[in-house]
Amino acid sequence: MKKRGRGIACMWYPIGFTVAANPSAAVVKVNEDGTATVLTGTVETGQGSLTVLGQIAAEELGIATDDVHVVSADTDTTPMDTGAIASRTTYVTGNAIRLAAEKAKEILFQVAAPMLGVKPEQLEARDRKIQVKNYPQRCIGIGEVANQAQFVMGQPALGSASFNPPTVALDPATGQGKPFATYVYATQIAEVDVDDETGEVEVLKIVASHDCGTAINPMLVEGQIEGGISMGVGFALQEEMLFDNKGKQLNPNLTNYIMPTSLDMPEIEVDIVKNYDPTGPFGAKGVGEPTAVPTAAAIMNAIYNATGARVYSLPATPERVLAAIKVARSKQLPKPKKAAKSKRIAAH
Amino acid sequence: MTDVTLKINGETRSAAVPPETTLLKMLRESFSLTGAKLGCDVGDCGACTVIVDGLPVNSCLMLAGQADGREVLTIEGLATPDHLHPIQKTFEDCASLQCGFCGPGVIMSSKALLDANPNPSVAEIRDALAGNLCRCTGYTKMIEAVQQAAQVMRSAKSKRAA
Repeated sequence: MKKRGRGIACMWYPIGFTVAANPSAAVVKVNEDGTATVLTGTVETGQGSLTVLGQIAAEELGIATDDVHVVSADTDTTPMDTGAIASRTTYVTGNAIRLAAEKAKEILFQVAAPMLGVKPEQLEARDRKIQVKNYPQRCIGIGEVANQAQFVMGQPALGSASFNPPTVALDPATGQGKPFATYVYATQIAEVDVDDETGEVEVLKIVASHDCGTAINPMLVEGQIEGGISMGVGFALQEEMLFDNKGKQLNPNLTNYIMPTSLDMPEIEVDIVKNYDPTGPFGAKGVGEPTAVPTAAAIMNAIYNATGARVYSLPATPERVLAAIKVARSKQLPKPKKAAKSKRIAAH
Repeated sequence: MTDVTLKINGETRSAAVPPETTLLKMLRESFSLTGAKLGCDVGDCGACTVIVDGLPVNSCLMLAGQADGREVLTIEGLATPDHLHPIQKTFEDCASLQCGFCGPGVIMSSKALLDANPNPSVAEIRDALAGNLCRCTGYTKMIEAVQQAAQVMRSAKSKRAA
């Protein structure tokens, strides 16, 4: 008989390395045509980080994302970046790029201030213009300012910066410290059907609520969450590396190492929690790895909710689920009341 | 050597290849059509999916000689220099691909589905993509993109008919 259950799991996850230095550096230059070029050592692996980093530079400079050309991952020419790991790119590399863009913008403000007859601190960069705050009609195109900076003032509009998440080393005696600059949080709820005769589990739906600070690109955040859930579903129910007694993997192939297909994926509802981290670029933190953290736990809790069975070893294959259901049933059997019986006899 | 003559993306092409050559190897090495990817090479992952006479096949499991005289469509045959194919466009709009290695295969499976079934249900889309493994995306945005592409292709068809 199929039994339906729901389970919930929560998690927190740190952004960046544990205390160890993990800097990112960046160069941003504003060109005479009003576009900008970003140099970053980080690598795009499909998660969309270069889009997000371009958005961060664009937001700081008041231009469009399409105006930003991101040059990345060339160790000959791009500045050092620790890499697309530790869910750190948006936060750490993003901070470096925002700071570098801010420096380039400060040069633009210094150049534009005398042109507009105001002080640099009265200026803002918006809509591809350098304009006087609250008087947007008093403005100059950002390209014209960049041109003036180079050819009249002799001070090209560029900035470089690096960012290393501030941490405090852990005290070996007390364990106290601040190992990470920021953390993200999430809750996922799984709804499953468990066949209590075969042990087969079908994940029907996952609702995933994630805090990643400001979601700079919500569509890409959704993509990360959906991808993480697919990894979590595989971790929970299917994926298992098998080794022989000499440590050689028995299933080093996709025939026997089973990962989720389109048929295994549940319906997914993504909820991006509105949050703002003042230490992140425009309030952003990160979202990559944490997306896969709570999924398996939520599914196991849902199996327990459906059947009363606790699975302690992943993946929860039909064999393991069935064995756990049998254990749960054996515990539910009524215990013989020996003590009460003997008491009754004694009373007689 | 086996002489193979076939139609690839509407163009008649010929090659002489060793008899054990797969269609995938011939596409990639004889014709430099590297869109179809070599993933597992045993028919598990679907990264090599191309369309042969209207049906999606794992080109790593088909011998080049078996494709002789047949019509093969690869990912390179979808877009024109000016326009992406509607499926490619909706995959881009929905951010359906991440690393993209599975993409050509997923898109060709989707194309074969929509050619045969212009208005598929979500279950039919999931079924059509079941032979294409993706480690990044969780398939969710791919399914959305196929639904959107189906809509775009249906309305383009009815416009042409009108």
